[in-house]
Amino acid sequence: MNTPNPLIETRALTRRFGTQLAVDNLNLSVPAGGVYGFLGPNGAGKTTAIRMLLGLIRPNAGEVRLFGQPLLANRYSLMQRVGALVETPSLYPHLTGRENLEVTRRLLGAPRERIDIALETVSLTKDAHRRVREYSLGMRQRLGLALALLNKPDLLILDEPTNGLDPAGIHEMRDLIRHLPGESGMTVFLSSHLLTEVEQIASHIGIIHEGHLLFQGALAELQAKQQTELTVGVKQIDQAIECLEHAGWTVQKRADKLLSVSARSPEDAARVNTLLVDRCFDVFHLALAQASLEDIFLTLTRGQVAAPRTA
Amino acid sequence: MSLLRALHAELLKLKRTLAFRVIFVLPFLVALLQFFIVLRTKKFPASFDLWETMGTNSLQIWAVFMMPLLITLETALLNGIEHSDRQWKHIFALPVPRHAVYVSKMIVAQGLIFISTLILSLLVVIVGIIATHLRPELANAGPIPFGWFAKYTVLVWAASWLIIAIHTWVSTRWSGFPIPLGAGIGGTFFALFAASASLGKYYPWLLPMNLFIDGRFKAALVLGIAGGIVATIVGCLEFVRRDVV
Repeated sequence: MNTPNPLIETRALTRRFGTQLAVDNLNLSVPAGGVYGFLGPNGAGKTTAIRMLLGLIRPNAGEVRLFGQPLLANRYSLMQRVGALVETPSLYPHLTGRENLEVTRRLLGAPRERIDIALETVSLTKDAHRRVREYSLGMRQRLGLALALLNKPDLLILDEPTNGLDPAGIHEMRDLIRHLPGESGMTVFLSSHLLTEVEQIASHIGIIHEGHLLFQGALAELQAKQQTELTVGVKQIDQAIECLEHAGWTVQKRADKLLSVSARSPEDAARVNTLLVDRCFDVFHLALAQASLEDIFLTLTRGQVAAPRTA
Repeated sequence: MSLLRALHAELLKLKRTLAFRVIFVLPFLVALLQFFIVLRTKKFPASFDLWETMGTNSLQIWAVFMMPLLITLETALLNGIEHSDRQWKHIFALPVPRHAVYVSKMIVAQGLIFISTLILSLLVVIVGIIATHLRPELANAGPIPFGWFAKYTVLVWAASWLIIAIHTWVSTRWSGFPIPLGAGIGGTFFALFAASASLGKYYPWLLPMNLFIDGRFKAALVLGIAGGIVATIVGCLEFVRRDVV
């Protein structure tokens, strides 16, 4: 993906821990605006990459550029435009939600009203007076997000923000993140090990596995990789194969007595159906199956060819 | 400016913490011990100087034992709250220079130790006043030497800067209590034996006590202050370069 003026750009970013290569020659290019989903299985190198984006750890090689400037030489000025939630939120349990925000506000030197805005954004205004040790996991995660929003960032970096949350918490968090780019124009860089979690909100996707970037581009590009397969059920199998092959389709007989036809679109499916019905075949099953994004993700990260699923 | 912001944030973190409460508890224990010593003494010698004896005794107990333990506890608690929920990664991702964070931690620890030492001196004065009322033979103890108490409160505190700097680094470097506590107990334990050794003059955990030992006053003060500043700079340099994994 060649993004003009990317907000985040890494060039040959590499980090080792002992002999283990955690991130290998990573070239990220994250466009401004929207949500970038940074995907990979656990241990793929996502958190290490994110820590390098934030300057928490130093790369062994390569460079991080944020907003077009090298991070190393401009960390303090660049971090003023970045908000981050890395893994679990960092909170002081003995302080209230508001006091936790106040600690970070003091460090940032941000105006006091930002606390109320951040609390409102994450719907914690009512519980702000309670000590954080009384908060549920979902509330803690939302407070962590509020901390990241306190300096009104242009870039929000979230590392597995829904990890450990129950379905309701995941839904809440996802809704919050989904609305951030539209409301404030910020860019969200979001890591996850679940494609299903980000495909609903991300405009761009990067897939990392064992430290390598396997795919990077718009979600639509990934969707274009989805393969389809038409399965057909007819009573007269052998005659149907002959008929379809004669018409130019590639046909395979499956173990479940269905036929797999090389059709790629609903129009193809309709043509196959018309052909068979016109020749008086009894068609009792017709399904266009599509490999889900999850299958593509698994294919990329496991190097396996996933079986298509019925759409 | 960023140092002031970091200090401002540190003060809020102290709210409702044991780190804040403990600065009152330990001086109280030493003053209570002095109270019982005075109360239980059957006969005071004719040359007994209440203020000098009580002042020196309590500040020596403080310098050699209680203060090093307080420093261990305070620095472990102050930095422990940053380890518990892995706050370092949040703080280091903020546009705040790391050295400001480190120096603010050191200054807050120094401030708490100073307040605690001051509380000790005030409590010892109060115990002395009570003693002059409870024991008629001490009624003519003379005026309270406020100047002496003020001077030694500051000196004992200043000589402890090196210990504070060492413990600040140790407790930012390792999470949990075992290593900071081990360093504090080990340091204090050896101090009890190092007092009579000639090398004890340079032993960090003995420096506050050395103020009361002939021929060691100047070295204690210079090493305590200068050593504290150098150790803070060295610790800070490591802290700034540290990876947060």
